[in-house]
Amino acid sequence: MNGRGTPLGEYLPGHSWLHRTPLGLKAGFLAVLGLGTFWLSSWAASLAVLGLVVALFASIAPGWRRTWRLFAAPAPLLLVVLVFQSWQLGPGRGISIAANITSCLVAAAILTLTTPVQTLLDGVVRLASPLRRFGLDPERLALLIAITLRSIPYLLGTFSSVREAARARGLERSPRARVLPVLIASVAYAQRTGDALTARGLGDATEPEADDPAFN
Amino acid sequence: MPDARSFARPADPDDDAVLLRDVVVRAAGEDRRPSRTILTVDGLRLTERRIGVLGANGSGKSTLLRLLNGLQLPDSGSVTVHGLDTRRDGRAVRALVGFVFTDPLSQLVMPTGREDLELSLRRSVPRKDRAARAQEILERFGLATLADQSVYELSGGERQLMALASVLAVEPRVLALDEPSTLLDLRNRELLRRTLAELPQQQVLATHDLELALDMDRVLVVDRAEIVFDGDPASAVAFYRELSLSGTP
Repeated sequence: MNGRGTPLGEYLPGHSWLHRTPLGLKAGFLAVLGLGTFWLSSWAASLAVLGLVVALFASIAPGWRRTWRLFAAPAPLLLVVLVFQSWQLGPGRGISIAANITSCLVAAAILTLTTPVQTLLDGVVRLASPLRRFGLDPERLALLIAITLRSIPYLLGTFSSVREAARARGLERSPRARVLPVLIASVAYAQRTGDALTARGLGDATEPEADDPAFN
Repeated sequence: MPDARSFARPADPDDDAVLLRDVVVRAAGEDRRPSRTILTVDGLRLTERRIGVLGANGSGKSTLLRLLNGLQLPDSGSVTVHGLDTRRDGRAVRALVGFVFTDPLSQLVMPTGREDLELSLRRSVPRKDRAARAQEILERFGLATLADQSVYELSGGERQLMALASVLAVEPRVLALDEPSTLLDLRNRELLRRTLAELPQQQVLATHDLELALDMDRVLVVDRAEIVFDGDPASAVAFYRELSLSGTP
C-alpha cells in the first residue's frame, strides 16, 4: 500500500528527551548539520557524525520496523551516490558524501518523528510571519511544507507499488513501465490533494481574524 | 420515462435552502474550451435534511455535489447555499458545506487522524484549545484509540469515519457526501449509515447503495447530465432500478 515507504514525515508519539526538546533547538541542529556537511570531506569525520546522529535516532526508540524503513527506502539511491562519487572523486570522498546525506536524512527523520505536525506548522508560521509584509501567507507556506512531508512516503510507496506491478507483468526492465505510472499517479495524487484542500477551505488565504497571535 | 421537468420543483430563493438556477456545467475540451455538457439543472431547491442522489457512473451526480461546495463552478447559472453564492462567496460556502470524498485517503492530508483533525481546526480554534477539541471529537466518534495510527493502517471504515470527523470538526451546516460507502464492506457500511443518520447536518449524498438511498427524505436520479427523477425514496429507487435494467444508462 502506498504511504509506507519511509518514516520521514511521520510523527512517533512519545515522551523521550528529544520529544521534549523545543522545536527551535531541533530545527537549529538540523540546519547546522545540513550546512556543516558541506565542509565535511574526511570520511572518518563524516562517519563519526553519522554515528552520533544514529545514536540520537536510537535514543527515541523508533523500533526495528521503522528503522528498517528509514534506511531501506533511500538505500538504492545512496548506493548509486556512493559508487558514482567513489569512481569520480575516490573512495574516501564517496563514503563521506554518502554518509553526509544519510546523516541529514536521519536528522530530518528525528525532527519529524519527535515533533507533532501541528507544532511544526506553528513553528513555520512563526518563522515566516515577517514575510507577510511581502505578501507571503505564512499559513499557506506551513501547509505547503506539511503536504510535502505527507507526500514523501506516498510517492515512495507509489514507486514501490509500480515496481511490483511491472515485475508481475514481466516488465521490470522497462523504464517506461516503471516511470510513467509513477508520474501519472503523482499528478492524480496532486489533483486529489488539491481538491481535498480546496473542499476544506485550507487553500484559502488566511482569515484576518486568524492573524491574532492566539491562532498562530 | 418521466419527463425531468415534471419532477423538478420550482426554484424559490430561500436562505435556508440549497438553490440551483439554470445551471450548466461543461467539460473542458481541447484548448480548454468547454465542450461536452456534463450537467444541466434548470431549477432545484433542496430543503430536506437528507437528500440522496442516484445515478450511473459518469451521469453527473458527483458534479452536482461538487457544485454545492464550490469545488465546481457552473459555466452558467448560479448555485446558492443558505443565501451564499458559490462563485461570489467561495470561502464562506466552503466553511458552510463539508465535503466527504469516496476515497478517504484523498481527504486525509495528514499522516494520522489526530493531525488531520487538528489541521481542520487551525482556522477556527486557538492553538491552546486545539488538542483538547480534537480529542473531544475523536471520542465522540469512537476514534480516540486510532487517532495516532498512520491513516494507511486504518481499515476502510475507520478511515471513512476519520475523514468524516475531520470534516465535521469545523461544524459545517451542510454535508456533501460523494459515494461515501462505495469502498466499504457491509459492516463498515452499516456503521457509516448509522453515524450519518444521527448527524444534525443537512446531507446531500450521492450513492449506488440503494438501501442507503431509502434512508433519505428525498432522492434525485441523475442520468445523462440531467435530473430525470425527483421524489420520495421508494419511488426514486424503483425508477432508478427500471432505468438501469432497461439498459438506458
